[in-house]
Amino acid sequence: MLKNAKQERLIWLDIIITLITSQIMAYFYYGARSAFVAGIAVVTAAATEFICLRLRRKPFTADDLTCTSDAMILTLMVPTVIDYKIMVIACVFAIAVAKNVFGGRKNMIFSPAAAGYVFLLTSWRSQTLQFTEPHVHTGLFEKAANLVSSASHTFNVSGKLEYSNFELLMGNCVGPTGSAYVLLLAISALILLFRRDISAGAFIGSISGTVIMSLLSPTADSFHTSVKYALITNMVLFASVYIVADKRIAPKKDYYAFFYGLFIAIVSYILVLTMAKENAIVIVSLLFTPVALALKNLEKRIENEKKQEEDTAASENEEKLEAETNA
Amino acid sequence: MFIVNDLIALLAANLILNQALGTSTLFIAANNRRNLTWTAVAITLFTTVGSFAAFFVAAFLPESVRDLTLLIYTLIISIIYALILSAMFFFSRNLFDRIKKYVHISAFNCAVMGTLFTITDRARADASFMHLGDFVLSGLEAGIGFVLTSLILTAAYRKLNSAKVPSSFRGFPAMLIYLGIISMAVYALK
Amino acid sequence: MRKKNLILEGLWNDNTVLSAFMVISPVIICGDTLRNALALIYAFSAITFVSVLISSFVPQRLPYAAKIMIYAVISSIVFIPAKLAAQEFFPGVVERIGIYFPLLAVNSLIVFQTEARFFRMKKSRMMISLISYILGFDAVMLITAFIRELFAYGTINSRMVDMDTLISGLGLPFGGFIFLGLFSGIFRKLRSATERNKDKEDA
Repeated sequence: MLKNAKQERLIWLDIIITLITSQIMAYFYYGARSAFVAGIAVVTAAATEFICLRLRRKPFTADDLTCTSDAMILTLMVPTVIDYKIMVIACVFAIAVAKNVFGGRKNMIFSPAAAGYVFLLTSWRSQTLQFTEPHVHTGLFEKAANLVSSASHTFNVSGKLEYSNFELLMGNCVGPTGSAYVLLLAISALILLFRRDISAGAFIGSISGTVIMSLLSPTADSFHTSVKYALITNMVLFASVYIVADKRIAPKKDYYAFFYGLFIAIVSYILVLTMAKENAIVIVSLLFTPVALALKNLEKRIENEKKQEEDTAASENEEKLEAETNA
Repeated sequence: MFIVNDLIALLAANLILNQALGTSTLFIAANNRRNLTWTAVAITLFTTVGSFAAFFVAAFLPESVRDLTLLIYTLIISIIYALILSAMFFFSRNLFDRIKKYVHISAFNCAVMGTLFTITDRARADASFMHLGDFVLSGLEAGIGFVLTSLILTAAYRKLNSAKVPSSFRGFPAMLIYLGIISMAVYALK
Repeated sequence: MRKKNLILEGLWNDNTVLSAFMVISPVIICGDTLRNALALIYAFSAITFVSVLISSFVPQRLPYAAKIMIYAVISSIVFIPAKLAAQEFFPGVVERIGIYFPLLAVNSLIVFQTEARFFRMKKSRMMISLISYILGFDAVMLITAFIRELFAYGTINSRMVDMDTLISGLGLPFGGFIFLGLFSGIFRKLRSATERNKDKEDA
């Protein structure tokens, strides 16, 4: 139990460190406002978690700080220029409705960040999908001007992206606050994978699904360009690391988690291809929650059956031994 | 690819997630997995056979007596209900005793009636839809939609009723919020 | 059961929508504006009251299935004058509510609860209990519609209110699901708190 709690805290710490690095990049691209939005989100999430726990007559412990990583993930998926009030509402929704109503971190059903993002998308679509260009620093209380659609939207609609490989690698393109820094995300993914902070099966499944679909139904002239764009755009890499591979949501066994990630990637790729649905992977992840739950139920049933078989075998052995000794 | 798109279309047109039709029935049936399965089967039967009959109502009922539609649908469902119960009774008393309660809750509810009204409204708005095949297929689709939602709810049933869920939200309130978040994701895909 | 308890039953102890989870589709879909809510309240109250009252004269010796069919047919007949009157009093709203208007006639309060609850009581007590259940639905519908209209559209009964951040999702079906789930949870919490206080006082 103590080991589990310690592990939970370490996972949170690793994840929050990788998220902070993305946030630092966002600071260089979008200025102090990105840090301010993140601060508001983190404080709101922590306050909401605290209030929910008090209402449930539970103490607020260090483990409950995991809500701050959900708030950070949500911040990195939205434009820097998003209205602060909307961000506060989304964080309250993510932490109170999508998490604490179901029993909080001990009985997670949905990814709070994914639920918060889809809530934003359905209630404030234009505010969620309109961005400033990188290097445009909007003041803390300034109204943003010259908002444009994201690079993902341009790619989904036209099938082309006019950015160099270096720009794409560094995330120097129009998009959410922190989900486009490919190089940083790749490093973060590797670190989190090696430290077993994210579900390897779900992550590999998600990436494999995207690659397989790019091979079967390419969106660009060459296979490697198609794979590159499929992974970079629509927050695929970001969501694969922080939402699909979220250990709290994905099935425990890598084998099941792989298929969970694979199907999310395949379905979201098809939705991007046929409906030009921006950031479909986040929506599909939320929609696949029942699948994750069903797989977890299956895992549990198999585990119980195995345990039962082992118990029966052990008791049979004991009986045999007893019979032999008696004889 | 077509399968995925069809599945999304089925979810997008889902009578529970989209129109909240049959939510009460789903909750009544959600007590256990067996209940849910039999209710889903019975509702699919009612929506499919009911849609078959609804075609004739939509095609032949004069505009001046349209207010009678509900009464006619009620009579249709009553006949199907009586026929199913009688058939079960004569086929196997044992089966009748086991399944009758699912037939009772599946006959007169928003899922079945709502499906008939939705299909009729669609046909009245779009004449190209006024075919017997389309009606039956839509009825079957609605039933499958109910089955799909039942599966979605079954997957989370244990967690939604877990002792870890705050007592005031345990059970139905948590189920409503769970379905609401899934419905939100479906809406985001439209 | 005492009369006071009977009055409180459908309103508080076993609220039609929040506790018994009956007739929730119209609340989720149409409970987004006060105008819709008022029309639904009128229709639900009229259809349910008259239907249950007439149904109470159906002989109880009949088989269960036959009684259910008769109740549904009675409410479908009651629906016709109720709809005509609604078109007179709420012009335009009946069309907006669409299929949810006729669906009120096959609500579980009429079809199933009549057997399980109302017809086991004496007529006078049945009337009080029935009114209490109807008021329970009406109150939830009004509160839901008021809050959802205010936060989703920034209006109260179609009149603009000064709201600078609107949550449009609250006016959509998923907003209805989530709102009703939260409302029901909060309602349960309040109810259990009052019960605890009552127990303390009794002790």
